[in-house]
Amino acid sequence: MNRLHPRVQVLWAVRAALLAVVLGAITWVVSRVALDLPTLLPVGVFLVALVVGVAYAAVKYRLWGYEVREDSLYLERGVFTRVRTVVPFVRIQHVDSARGPAERFLGLASTVVYTAGSRGADVSIPGLTPDGADSLQDRLKRLAIRAEGEDAV
Amino acid sequence: MSPRLSPLSVPYRAARKGGSLLFTLVFALFSGAMAVTNDLGGPLLVLGLVVLLVLALVGYEVAYYRRYEYELTAESLDISSGVFSRRNREIPLRRVQNVDISRNALQRALSIAAVNFETAGGSTTEAAIRFVSFEEAKRLQREVARLKRGEEPGAGEAGEEDVEELFALSADELALVGLLSFDLRGPGILLFLASGSVPVVSGLFADVEGPLLALGGVAVLLLIVLVSWLAGIAVAVANYYGFTLSRADDELRYERGLLRRYDGSIPLDKVQTVTVEDNPLKRRFGYASLAIETAGYGPGTGGDRGSESAVPLASVERVLQLANDVEPFGDPAFERPPKRVRRRYAMRYLIALAAVTAAFFGVEYVLAVGFPWWIPLVLLAVVPVAAHLKWLHRGYWLGADHVVTRNGFWRRQTKVVPYYRIQTVIESRTPFQWRWDLATVVVDTAGSNSLVGNDAAAVDVDESTAATLRDELDERLRASLATRRDRQRAEATERRPADADESVGRAADEGAGPVADDDDGRNRDLDGDEAVEGSDPDADGEGEHGTSDDRRNKPGDDSENEVDGDTDGVGFGADSSN
Repeated sequence: MNRLHPRVQVLWAVRAALLAVVLGAITWVVSRVALDLPTLLPVGVFLVALVVGVAYAAVKYRLWGYEVREDSLYLERGVFTRVRTVVPFVRIQHVDSARGPAERFLGLASTVVYTAGSRGADVSIPGLTPDGADSLQDRLKRLAIRAEGEDAV
Repeated sequence: MSPRLSPLSVPYRAARKGGSLLFTLVFALFSGAMAVTNDLGGPLLVLGLVVLLVLALVGYEVAYYRRYEYELTAESLDISSGVFSRRNREIPLRRVQNVDISRNALQRALSIAAVNFETAGGSTTEAAIRFVSFEEAKRLQREVARLKRGEEPGAGEAGEEDVEELFALSADELALVGLLSFDLRGPGILLFLASGSVPVVSGLFADVEGPLLALGGVAVLLLIVLVSWLAGIAVAVANYYGFTLSRADDELRYERGLLRRYDGSIPLDKVQTVTVEDNPLKRRFGYASLAIETAGYGPGTGGDRGSESAVPLASVERVLQLANDVEPFGDPAFERPPKRVRRRYAMRYLIALAAVTAAFFGVEYVLAVGFPWWIPLVLLAVVPVAAHLKWLHRGYWLGADHVVTRNGFWRRQTKVVPYYRIQTVIESRTPFQWRWDLATVVVDTAGSNSLVGNDAAAVDVDESTAATLRDELDERLRASLATRRDRQRAEATERRPADADESVGRAADEGAGPVADDDDGRNRDLDGDEAVEGSDPDADGEGEHGTSDDRRNKPGDDSENEVDGDTDGVGFGADSSN
């Protein structure tokens, strides 16, 4: 089972931190405008959200895994709801490798696999190195062509 | 010379557009623009404007008519259209999923029809021809079906086709469809509107006795049921009046509708999922309904048209026979979830019941009108029964060529998915399933209804079963695809039997090692075929793990290794026939 690049934890943790800031700010605004809440509550909310978010990112990283099997792509992920997906190569429509601004900053990339299925866009592998994402994309593409699927639908 | 729209489409389109414009105009006149027009010369000017508008409208529609051309060639449907910005579109015929004709009452009087060509993957209709004569519409529908089979264009005229009626909905059955269907949309809207007036109403009833209030609640509930029932009857009759389903070669055709008539085609080779649906009432009287899904309908239209392109009601035997005509899956012997699941459901219902009771108690605590808040507790007696029933109606079955799943008590759906239609297999476990060691396996297809998350799913199966199921479905998808490919190839290369023999010979040679991609593919196909034909539908997840372990031990994945991995796959495929 392949793991993601450890740096993806940073990406997720930063996202969690941003969310924590937003939550803290909301609490602060509410306490200023409407309710008479303790002064330190916004800070508390921020800290709790931050710790939970960072821990979540770490656990999420530990539980994420993918595997290029001989005939299908297999993914395992999810902290609370554990999801395991099997994408047969014959079903792959196209493969993208994508890099968002935050991902570029951290030197990461993701690979997105599309099928004709209704949940196709779900199959995205984050936290790869740019080279890794490109080579995975390339490999999946070759495997998909070789699997020579018929018309998807 | 390519065919054109019906000339009648000009006045119809103009009138329809004019109607909405007129409405806007009248609205504008009465909302203050009157004063302005009075200054500018009064009613005469308004009349002049209207005449100008009508002329412009008719002119546009004439231009639209003159510049709209379509043509059905052996390969594609070509449409060029547009008055100001031109658009030329070619739709490959083999991509066309459904050809749907619809006519509302007025269109029927004018004998014109709207034709929609649906392809997979688009959120909108790929091509919509706005109004040809009904005969032309039917001709298009027939021609598309014929051309897709590779026959010569223009050869088949009306009547030459071999159409066999499979099912017609009798008047009695139509009445039953109405009686047995509830349309919750109307009451839903009512409820939504009423929810805003709750404070007012509760104010009104503040001095009413508690039991009376409860009685009122029950009365309102009954009213909702009655209204939804009546709405259901109206909708069902409007939708399914004069329903017939017939088969023309490799297509199904349906016709239905009271005011608006629908004539649709469902190519059998595009069927993704077949769903048999019933509810307790239908089960009691031995009825069921059938829905056939293709990938031709975009999101949002699935519930509206896709799922209605099927039999609304027929006796169970008839429905099963029809379903088997479309997808010969046989007689499923469902594997139920483990019995401990019943305790889980009971727990779930208890929690829901507790929540409702608590809410009732809260209301009573605040209003203090003597409302019998404990009423929901009466349902405690039903909880075990409900849990058992839910468990009873759940299950999955792996057939020779299909996976069949069944879920639901009130709206029981039996979904039949051919293995070769599987897109992805998703196994998931929610935190609530963890502690019971359960999992859900969703079989994703490209069907239209799956877009709203209505996929075939084996819900709450044992965790180990789920893992096996996941790999097994993947396995069978590939085997089934290989069989289909072989059949197609055999049909295509019937005149070259020597070539096929050679491949078989090579496939038998197991230790062939890395071979050229093309040959390798063919070997695997033939092998897969043998595996399927002799295969016993028993789970064989072990081999899969074995090969994946193999893969893990190979650090450098170059293409040679891939070929190796593939031959592993072949070996395993053959194993499963033992």
